[in-house]
Amino acid sequence: MMDIAIYSLVDDMVSKAGTEGVVEYWLRVGESYAERMGKEAYVGWPAFNVAMKEGRTSLTVEGEVNVLTDLAIIDRDGDVIGYVYALKTCPMAPTMRRYISRIGPIPDSDTDVADSYNNRIRDSAVSNYCITHQRFREIAANNITVAKQGLECLQLANKGMSGDVKMVPENLARINVDERHIKSILRSASCVFALIVRGKSAGEEIID
Amino acid sequence: MAENIESNPFVDVSVFLFFEDISDKQGVEGFTNYMVGQAESLAKSVPEEEYETWDDFAKAVASGESVFSSFESIEQISKYGFVTNICPFSKAIREYIKRIGNFNPVHMEATDYYNHTIQPSAAHSACMMHQTYRKEVAKRIKIGGKPLQYAQIGAKAYTGEIALPPESWKKVLLEKAGISETQGFMEMRENSCLYLLYVEERIPR
Repeated sequence: MMDIAIYSLVDDMVSKAGTEGVVEYWLRVGESYAERMGKEAYVGWPAFNVAMKEGRTSLTVEGEVNVLTDLAIIDRDGDVIGYVYALKTCPMAPTMRRYISRIGPIPDSDTDVADSYNNRIRDSAVSNYCITHQRFREIAANNITVAKQGLECLQLANKGMSGDVKMVPENLARINVDERHIKSILRSASCVFALIVRGKSAGEEIID
Repeated sequence: MAENIESNPFVDVSVFLFFEDISDKQGVEGFTNYMVGQAESLAKSVPEEEYETWDDFAKAVASGESVFSSFESIEQISKYGFVTNICPFSKAIREYIKRIGNFNPVHMEATDYYNHTIQPSAAHSACMMHQTYRKEVAKRIKIGGKPLQYAQIGAKAYTGEIALPPESWKKVLLEKAGISETQGFMEMRENSCLYLLYVEERIPR
């Protein structure tokens, strides 16, 4: 029942703090959630990817993740700097279905808050919950080291309840993956992201 | 019975954190007000219901067909006495503890605030949401043309502590439910929540 509260809470919050205020609240929730999960260290990518498959990392508390080991991201020297991962089911999907079945249509405030985030921060939210979820991943990734190197999470794409898709072209370019490839992954997933060594990219330059 | 769709605990835990963030900005009073306010809004969004007889309503509640039992499994123990076996928030509370650790003390502070300013019936902050939701949903249900009434008797927290009304209220509520105090305690051993659902014999003016 706790999850169902989101919609009435967001509706109330929008009337009191505006859509921008709700975005700020959600960003802080994502940060505090990830911070309170603590730090993790793995000896190398194989160990980390097994932990992801088995759901042992802070990044897999959100649900089952497909580890796309065929999509290793390599830098210009040919070193593996990360991988692409696909979250099978959006954590918000059951709540949305439950809300629609028990209460009624999803309130407009859901889209209003997502639009506020998309217009001001990054065009990557298909629902208001994406704001906290994506922020959670970014901060949780910063708390993980693989072979003593810190990680960075890059949001690549996600799919909404009605099939609308958001892509983040600058992140796709950074890991040099084609948009069509990510779209094919989204057929059987709800969210696609990359985890790479912080500051690295598949291109020529290393990003600070 | 409607399809049972399980929530993802990731979402449940983040809602608890959302309320904690509100308390950082607006204190325990803000936390409580938001929790109560959103439960009222949620209840106002559910469809209204009408039942011909008390038995029709009780049957719909126990089978999960009423909006009153949308989020919990309810059992009728006497004509007006009802219990919820498993608190619908217990999974979210367990997941919070598993993932994050001890509950932020603000949850108990808000519970105390609610018990002192609204009514002494909450065992955990989630009870504030749950009991407000039940109270408001009851207003949307009519049985034989009369509005459903709801009164909380006992609520058990994940720590095992039970919130009970003051002695004078408890006696009246148990009598109305048609159960003795001993039976009430027996019910609270097996269940997470004990409450009264009834209709006034005469419609209040």
